[in-house]
Amino acid sequence: MFLAMTQKPLLVLATALVGLSVGIGLMVNQWYNPYLLFEYNGLAYGRAEVIYAVAAMSFALLIIAGGFSYFKREPEHTGEYISLILFSLTGALCMIGYTDLFMFFIGLEILSIPVYVLAGTKKKDLKSSEAAMKYFFTGAFATGILLFGTAWVYGATGTFDLRELSNVLAEGTANGPLLFVGILMMMASFLFKVGAAPFHFWGPDVYAGSPNIITGYMASVVKMAGLYAFMKLFTYVFAPVSDLWSGALFGMIILTMFVGNLSALRQTKFKRLLAYSSISNAGYALMATIIISDASLFNLWIYLLGYGFAVIALIVISLVVNDESDDIESYKGIGRKNPWIGVVLVLSVLSLAGVPPLAGFFGKYMVFASAFETYPILVILAVINSGIGVFYYLRFVMIALSSEDAEQAPILKPCVLQWSVLVICALGLLLSGYITL
Amino acid sequence: MELFALPLVFALIALVAPKSKVNYVGLIGAVVSMVVSFIHVALFSPDQYVSLFAPDFMLPLGLTFKMGYDGIGLFMVVLTNVITTLILLSNLNREIAHNRAFNALVLLMQFGLLGVFTAMDGIMFYIFWELTLVPIFLISYWFGAVDRKKPLMKFFIYTFVGSLAMLLSFMALGTYSSSFAYEDLLAAQLTAKTAFWVMGGFFLAFAIKIPLFPFHTWQPDTYTVSPMAGTMLLSALMLKMALYGMVRWMIPIAPEALDELSCLVITLGLIGVVYAAVIAIKQTDIKRLFAFASISHVGLIAAGIMLFNKDALSGAFIQIANHSLVALGLFLAADILERRMGTRNIYDLGGVAKLAPKFGFWFAAVAFASVSVPLTSGFIGEFLLLRGLYNYSWIVGLVAGTTLVLGAVYTLRAYQISMFGAPKMEHFADLTWNEMLTFFIIMLIILVLGIYPQAIIDFVGPSLDLTIETVKGTKVIVQ
Repeated sequence: MFLAMTQKPLLVLATALVGLSVGIGLMVNQWYNPYLLFEYNGLAYGRAEVIYAVAAMSFALLIIAGGFSYFKREPEHTGEYISLILFSLTGALCMIGYTDLFMFFIGLEILSIPVYVLAGTKKKDLKSSEAAMKYFFTGAFATGILLFGTAWVYGATGTFDLRELSNVLAEGTANGPLLFVGILMMMASFLFKVGAAPFHFWGPDVYAGSPNIITGYMASVVKMAGLYAFMKLFTYVFAPVSDLWSGALFGMIILTMFVGNLSALRQTKFKRLLAYSSISNAGYALMATIIISDASLFNLWIYLLGYGFAVIALIVISLVVNDESDDIESYKGIGRKNPWIGVVLVLSVLSLAGVPPLAGFFGKYMVFASAFETYPILVILAVINSGIGVFYYLRFVMIALSSEDAEQAPILKPCVLQWSVLVICALGLLLSGYITL
Repeated sequence: MELFALPLVFALIALVAPKSKVNYVGLIGAVVSMVVSFIHVALFSPDQYVSLFAPDFMLPLGLTFKMGYDGIGLFMVVLTNVITTLILLSNLNREIAHNRAFNALVLLMQFGLLGVFTAMDGIMFYIFWELTLVPIFLISYWFGAVDRKKPLMKFFIYTFVGSLAMLLSFMALGTYSSSFAYEDLLAAQLTAKTAFWVMGGFFLAFAIKIPLFPFHTWQPDTYTVSPMAGTMLLSALMLKMALYGMVRWMIPIAPEALDELSCLVITLGLIGVVYAAVIAIKQTDIKRLFAFASISHVGLIAAGIMLFNKDALSGAFIQIANHSLVALGLFLAADILERRMGTRNIYDLGGVAKLAPKFGFWFAAVAFASVSVPLTSGFIGEFLLLRGLYNYSWIVGLVAGTTLVLGAVYTLRAYQISMFGAPKMEHFADLTWNEMLTFFIIMLIILVLGIYPQAIIDFVGPSLDLTIETVKGTKVIVQ
């Protein structure tokens, strides 16, 4: 990471890619040799953490590789971009592996602060600065609430450690109202991080203002870490007191899905569309967390995997299209200009829409099917929402595949790294639905 | 395995084949799959079940990937392969056939359809069901008329939402059964109320696809804006998925609700029969006219299926084959008129039969098959369906019987206005060899089935018996 401070973009890139690959390799190795799983103060990697960590690191790898052509435009800052992403990834890994609320908080901060900076890296662009400011202020506020909530929970239970926490809660001696307020506050700040309604207002502005590649990072890695941390704390640790929070979560999931999908219907900007789609996807993903079962862990992972691949592919395509105004119309005829990009784009959008046999379908199917027994109403509403979602996804596909010629735009040529990212994403979308563990 | 994987292989070949020969690549692909399915027929005896693919693992939540066929499934497979071949044959010398994407998409569609008809796992069925939506959408979107966007959007959303209802039904079933394999789903014990909702979900998906009144509004527009091949795929094959789905999935899985829903579905079917026929009489656009005619015909089939007895079901399968062939022929004729005259309005046409006697003859033959004159397969099929409906209730039989009269009115009216009278054009190129061959094969099959319908009845009979037994058997257990 410190090599990243040199001013030689290629060297930085190579270091980052090799480092991440080695990291992923080590993680996979841990999966096959469980005796290696490590644990120390506040941080533990079990099998579940390993799969999430592998996914998060792979996404970061794809983001760095896909965004390299963008980073390298300012050679003196390339190192900073990449190292900030890596710092942030470190935070994500802490958030995935935490066993202690304290460590979780540290992870969250390590994750967030570099992203605040990255969101504002288009320094001459007002929108980007606005995004950074907005994200920072609201984020700081959410962090404050999280700390406050943590304090209340500590007050009720007397511990930060997850294992002790769940023991205390299972005994049922914890102080009711104190715990209730604490849990709700923590939930609010979590939902803020993953962009669920009614805490979603920062989402569209920040997504639209940030550089595209950072938007991709927020939608894939940050979301993955946030949702898994949420699941770990609520679905597993707070399970004994689920009546305290599941009702609120239930309502917010419904709200999130509807807000995301209905607002996305009339968007004309690509990244705003992506932002609202990510809000609705957060809603579907949260459905996995409300179901207290061991399977939820895997369902959420599959869901986020499919989502991540689709978003990264779309973001890399948007880098290739490279349109400052970010209009959806600028994607017109992309399938004609470069059929292979068209194929990847269609795959990722259809996967987001949940068309089988792509990864997005399996994710949705697993999440929905496991939720059906407990919350049939929720699943029915979610299915209705998928129906609404098809409308804007399909509109996007129709624009991209349109055979009419758009205004004379140059023929698109992604670089080798971007090609490989797109190919990996396409393969991921086609195959990751069939993973069994 | 080769039965349903071959079209996919040829689709990939078609993507890289040289442009001047790609039409033949597509056709050869379809012919080879057709021959393979004939071999399967030769090795098949109607009372057996043949497993094509049964891996011994399953995904979490019970996706088993099972595929196989019995008499019903194989019948639909053969139908799909024959129709796809005819579609590619009739398009052979058109501009569209020289497009790689077109050939690949048609073959991909064939792959999806074969998957639908051989899937023996609920989720697999759903996956293939949705898979067919993508190629047909792209065919219509890329090669369709100028004003295609709105109708296609409507079509896609309509059918996708319907399918989601089916997915909900499958999920609900999943909570009652250990996996989504067909036999596990059959064994699932549902209460009457659950069965009602499960069947309702299936029904919504199928009713939109068929389409039954009042879910039909996407259909005429979509048929009109699609290119000929797209319309053919939609009418001759895609809606058959839904009819097949009713026989294979909807009724056997939730038979407890059959009595409750059958009255409703039969009523909707009959409304469609009369309503669409009356609209068809007033149409001047020949493609729209045949689109409404299609709604009218399939409404009758759907109503017959809901009776769920052997005669009506046999009639339904004969009529499924017949309707596919007739729709193919009629839309081909409509397209020939449109392509050579530049209009679909029947009042702008006239006297074609004098200038192009061969076309006049074959169009007339298909038109008569559509009206179900004796000796054509339509006669037997409609006769069995109408008899079943008459036994159900004489009023129903009477209303359904109007299809014969109204059908004759709109078909013969369209034929008369467009083909007879004083010629309104100077020149009309007669049929090319491939169009002629298509018409010939269509009529040959229609006549053979009309003279010897027992072939189909024997072929699907044993599987139908088994299905009917399951349905009746389940009822006894619940009561």
